Amino acid sequence: MFPRRRDPQRRLGGTAFHKLRWLLTAGLLGAALLGSATAPRAFEVTIAPASPQTIYLQVGVGTFTGTYCSNPCNSYPPIPPNTPTAPNGTPGNNATVNTVSVSVPAAQVGNGTVQTMTTNSTQSESFYDDYAFCNAPAQLYIGGFYRTTTTGNGSINVTATVPAALTDTAGDKLSFGTISWTSSGNADTGTEPFPGATFTPGAVQTIGAIAQNQWAESCWTFSYANTTVVAAGTYTGTVLYTATTP
Amino acid sequence: MRLRSLPLMLTVLLATWPAAARTTRIDDSATLPYASSLAVQWEQPSPRRPVNNLMSGTLTLRVRLNVTPWLHRSGRIYLTLPAQQPGPMSVSWATQGKLLPGQLTSGSRVLVYSGPITAPFIEDVLELTLRVDGTRLRQQQYHVNFNFEMDE
Repeated sequence: MFPRRRDPQRRLGGTAFHKLRWLLTAGLLGAALLGSATAPRAFEVTIAPASPQTIYLQVGVGTFTGTYCSNPCNSYPPIPPNTPTAPNGTPGNNATVNTVSVSVPAAQVGNGTVQTMTTNSTQSESFYDDYAFCNAPAQLYIGGFYRTTTTGNGSINVTATVPAALTDTAGDKLSFGTISWTSSGNADTGTEPFPGATFTPGAVQTIGAIAQNQWAESCWTFSYANTTVVAAGTYTGTVLYTATTP
Repeated sequence: MRLRSLPLMLTVLLATWPAAARTTRIDDSATLPYASSLAVQWEQPSPRRPVNNLMSGTLTLRVRLNVTPWLHRSGRIYLTLPAQQPGPMSVSWATQGKLLPGQLTSGSRVLVYSGPITAPFIEDVLELTLRVDGTRLRQQQYHVNFNFEMDE
């Protein structure tokens, strides 16, 4: 699209004759231009991204369809290198809510000895490359990606909506602030996209970020501070993890 | 003696100097669809390792080149993809035989026909696939222009 331009020929003249002469001149000029045109038209394709944005977040077990295949691919039948469909895969929806738990021996309740927690998640392999990135059940996998067509260093935040406390059936409470986690990954180096932290009770807490068009993943090892003497019981609470695109 | 031999030398030099190829854009306004839309999709919907950020799409074109000006002569026809927004692109195409299949990157051209021009129009159906870096698509759409050129 070109910007509109002011018409420099707004005034053609005062008489019909002048207008006619101008039109004839314009017509001849147009014919001359057409006759001397040396650049015929060429076909044009208008491209538009069909699905510019995709988001995937996995905490614990997840679902991915399509066999991962490195490049060059060693699968059978072999997939030629640089084939657009390899390595491929489609993220799926997995409604499983995994738990992280610990049973504190009665003799140790509230003695300040940190209790390492374990998960019922069985997911150790990363869908990024099928590598055993985490060590379940000691670690909980968290990962995902943000697919977008825009350039830059944009990223999206992942948040945790944390209740104020875990509760038991009797209504006893245990602050979520007593639970922390460390972050790592097998053969991983550098800063973790989802670093270690402690839950902030009753808050929406940013727990990491995913850079655009990259896969971000970490393995969390949870622990319970065990600094409070609480009534015997099973204390539960659910944390909701959310990734949001702009 | 010297002055008389000079024109002869010039004539000889001119005769042996290779004629520069003349390139003319071909009128392909009868190509259908002349202005088409192509929805490009991520080749790798999930950025798994190794990450591929290419987006691609395929469309079918019925190319009709008006080669009347070169009728009963020989020529070489090239498909060109000028360098343009959104940046580096690659195109590959298959044909039904009249034109040559091939591939090219933006800012270059590739031979699609070489030989005698025996009819006013050269027609073929192209299955054209365009690939572009998806991270460069900042706008909703881009107009990508192609040209056919004749070298004589």
